Amino acid sequence: MKNVFYGTLLVAAAALWIVGLLLFSQVTENSDDFARWTNWIFLINAVGIIVLVSLIAGNLFRLIRDHRRQVPGSRLETRVVTLLSVLAIAPLVVVYSFSVEFINRGIDEWFNVDVEQGLGNAIELSQTALDLQTRDSVAALEAMARVLNSGEGRNDLATEVGRLQRERGARELTIFGPNNQIVATSAEDPEAAVPPPPSEEMLLRFRQPAVDSSLAAAGVPQRSDDLVLAGRPGEPYVNLEPTADGSFQITTAVALDPQLGTGETQILRAVFPVPPRFSELANSVEGSFNQFTGLDFQRTALKYGFTLTLSLVLLIALLASVYGAFYSARRLIGPIQQLMQGTQAVARGDLDTRLPAAPHDEIGFLVNSFNDMTRRLATARQEARTSEQLVDSERQKLAVILARLSTGVVSLEPDMRIRTANGAASAIFGADLESHIGESLEELSETRPQLAQFLTVARAHTERHETEWREQIVLRDDAGRRVLMCTCTELPAEESTPGGFVVVFDDVTELLQAQRDAAWGEVARRLAHEIKNPLTPIQLSAERLRRRYLDAETGKLDLLDRSTHTIIQQVEAMKDMVNAFSEYARAPVMELSFVDINELIGEVAELYRHQEKPVAIEIASEPKLPRIEADIGRMRQVLHNLMRNALEATENRTDAHIDIATRFIAADARESVEIVVTDNGPGFSADIVDRAFEPYVTSKAKGTGLGLAIVKKLIEEHGGQIRAGNGEHGGARIVILLPASGASGAAHVDTGNEQRRELA
Amino acid sequence: MSRLAAVCVALVLVAGSAANAQDDPGRFEVRSASAGLDPGMNVWFLDARLELRLSAEAREALESGVPLSVRVEVEIIHVRRWLLDRENASLTQLYELQYHPLLERYTVRNVNSGTLDTYATLFAALNSLGRIDRLPVIDTALLDPERVYDVRLRVLLDTEQLPGPLRLLAFWRRDWSLGSEWFRWNLEEE
Repeated sequence: MKNVFYGTLLVAAAALWIVGLLLFSQVTENSDDFARWTNWIFLINAVGIIVLVSLIAGNLFRLIRDHRRQVPGSRLETRVVTLLSVLAIAPLVVVYSFSVEFINRGIDEWFNVDVEQGLGNAIELSQTALDLQTRDSVAALEAMARVLNSGEGRNDLATEVGRLQRERGARELTIFGPNNQIVATSAEDPEAAVPPPPSEEMLLRFRQPAVDSSLAAAGVPQRSDDLVLAGRPGEPYVNLEPTADGSFQITTAVALDPQLGTGETQILRAVFPVPPRFSELANSVEGSFNQFTGLDFQRTALKYGFTLTLSLVLLIALLASVYGAFYSARRLIGPIQQLMQGTQAVARGDLDTRLPAAPHDEIGFLVNSFNDMTRRLATARQEARTSEQLVDSERQKLAVILARLSTGVVSLEPDMRIRTANGAASAIFGADLESHIGESLEELSETRPQLAQFLTVARAHTERHETEWREQIVLRDDAGRRVLMCTCTELPAEESTPGGFVVVFDDVTELLQAQRDAAWGEVARRLAHEIKNPLTPIQLSAERLRRRYLDAETGKLDLLDRSTHTIIQQVEAMKDMVNAFSEYARAPVMELSFVDINELIGEVAELYRHQEKPVAIEIASEPKLPRIEADIGRMRQVLHNLMRNALEATENRTDAHIDIATRFIAADARESVEIVVTDNGPGFSADIVDRAFEPYVTSKAKGTGLGLAIVKKLIEEHGGQIRAGNGEHGGARIVILLPASGASGAAHVDTGNEQRRELA
Repeated sequence: MSRLAAVCVALVLVAGSAANAQDDPGRFEVRSASAGLDPGMNVWFLDARLELRLSAEAREALESGVPLSVRVEVEIIHVRRWLLDRENASLTQLYELQYHPLLERYTVRNVNSGTLDTYATLFAALNSLGRIDRLPVIDTALLDPERVYDVRLRVLLDTEQLPGPLRLLAFWRRDWSLGSEWFRWNLEEE
């Protein structure tokens, strides 16, 4: 729409300009109709020039500014503008200078020929011819004057004048008296008005004596062939003059002799016509001469006019072509500039750049291709972004899964630096691996022995260049012994990531423990069953033997009595043992209630204070201990077992003492109650400390070897943990962790039940 | 661009040389003017004396056969006290002055009336042209006796009647801009 408007404006301006120039050339020629338009035409041209100059100035200013700012495309635009301007201006200037030269020379040529001479001669010839006419007229006038002076017809002057006028062929014959009054007159045309009074020039002739000097004073050029023949009074006055209808007439006058009566001078004036053919020819000659001399005079003006016209045409054409150069350069450069800006924008990453549609040419094609390209790029980037987001969300999900996973997952760089690690891995190694991402595992292992143990195994595999391996690793620390199932896989190397390993750890300690416990439970059950069955008949038989033979044969009583007694006693002991086994294998239903563990400890400890052998029992309990949800019977059994163990361990010592301490621990949003039982006995020997809770692992001479195993089982039924170790000053140290009452505690109890059921 | 500038300079130079004044600039002036009422005819008549002297270039043009037009403009103006003055009537007399090489005489033609007078000298012709006697201007019937009127008069060389090339030249040159100032006086009985 804007383009159409500008186009119309441009066409209108061009049309106006051309019309202006045409009018201008019309003015330069001899056309009167355009006389009053001259100023307007100048104005139009001036306005056109001003508009063009200001347009060009604006464009030039813009171009210079762009050039200074190094706007892309400005250099090309400058070059195109210069080129187009030079191409347009050079021929114009050449044509202009040739035209001006040609016109000037041509106009001079017109006047160079001998026309002027010829026309001058023609004028002279005409003058001579008219001179003859004049002389005839003067002769006729003088003849008439003579007649009148002689006194003939003086009496009837009017008739005489009429006769003379007709006779001599005068157009008009008049006698003027003093004060120019008409004495007598006669005219060719009877209806003619009153004859005009004598001209001043004529009167001057007859009234003033010194004619020559007066004429000289009046500025009349004095010529030898002056048509005014008279010089003195008495000489006739002659004047050839044009008439209003374009012909000529000869006015002659002569002073009549002063009249006798009045003594006044009378003037006889006669007007003779010039023959029409003479007039016609004379007019024609004079017209041509006038036209020629007039043109000759206008020669400079003509040249000036043509030059001015040409200069204006040139100026406007020049300005228009320069502006045209600017305009077309901009039209040409505009899409290119947009393309440049577009590519820069794309380079910056702005793919939403769309260029406005360009004309249907190669540049338009380029623009369309560009738009197509950016559109496709934008689509591609959008897709890439979408898939990236997808990958991201997948990664986040994976991270969440990994974090929740109880399996430890650690990915490593090829040089053993940690790339990722999850919470479970940190828990397994007892080190916050997540906060050491990027650090070398080897450096970390210097302070963390568990990691060192893992590294030893891992290194062995990598030295053998195994890409995938699976191994069970046993970690030892003060918390005890843990078994990890460790799987390592080499990651494929990609462009951005150089490969590495991913290691998966499963803490299978509890699983193995459970398997072992289950196996022991089975053994105990079978053993109890298998042993119990023969024990009863053995006992019954021994008792029968004893009853029968003790009464009858007293002589040999002593041996029998001792033997059967031993049998019965030993069977009883075996029964106890078997019962203990079945106790281990079987678990009654838990009866949960809230238990104050301090109170319970106090109760149990009180029972052992008053033994045959005095023992020092110290209780260091934390006063504000939360209650725990537990089966009070089982908890009591746990404490009894521990107390018994401690007493048995310190049997040989005189300064035996047992410490029981309770503590509240809040860590990782888990509240728990810790019970630590320490004695000053010999402690666990190194070979059994790892397996202290397994059945039949004992350092004592007596006992079933099931005490600690049962304790562990009961504690695990309550969702707690138990560790066995040696204290700082020797002696056994058992640490029990029980969940404080709450949801987590209950959950642990449930798992305990399930575990128990499995065992049953 | 430098070429364009050169062309512009050349144009200015052409105009400048054209504006160079000749020796005699000429002079058109109203020497005196008066208006009188002819009681019998109830018409205002104008008498005026004009000094007309052609510039050298105009005289040269005339002697080369170019006819010159002299325009005499007369305006009757209604003088109003509070408003701007208003032109009531105007009269233009156009005279054509020409040199006849054949007769070696000057003619003055009154374009309005068509009368033709010949003079032996330019001085006589201009003198006669500059003497305006009893030129009827306006009928009293067209004037409101209650109102105040001014008359003004000027004479000028009418360049618009010149042939084309000269007209263009006359547009630029001072030699051709001959004209008197307005001569203004009150229209009343003396």
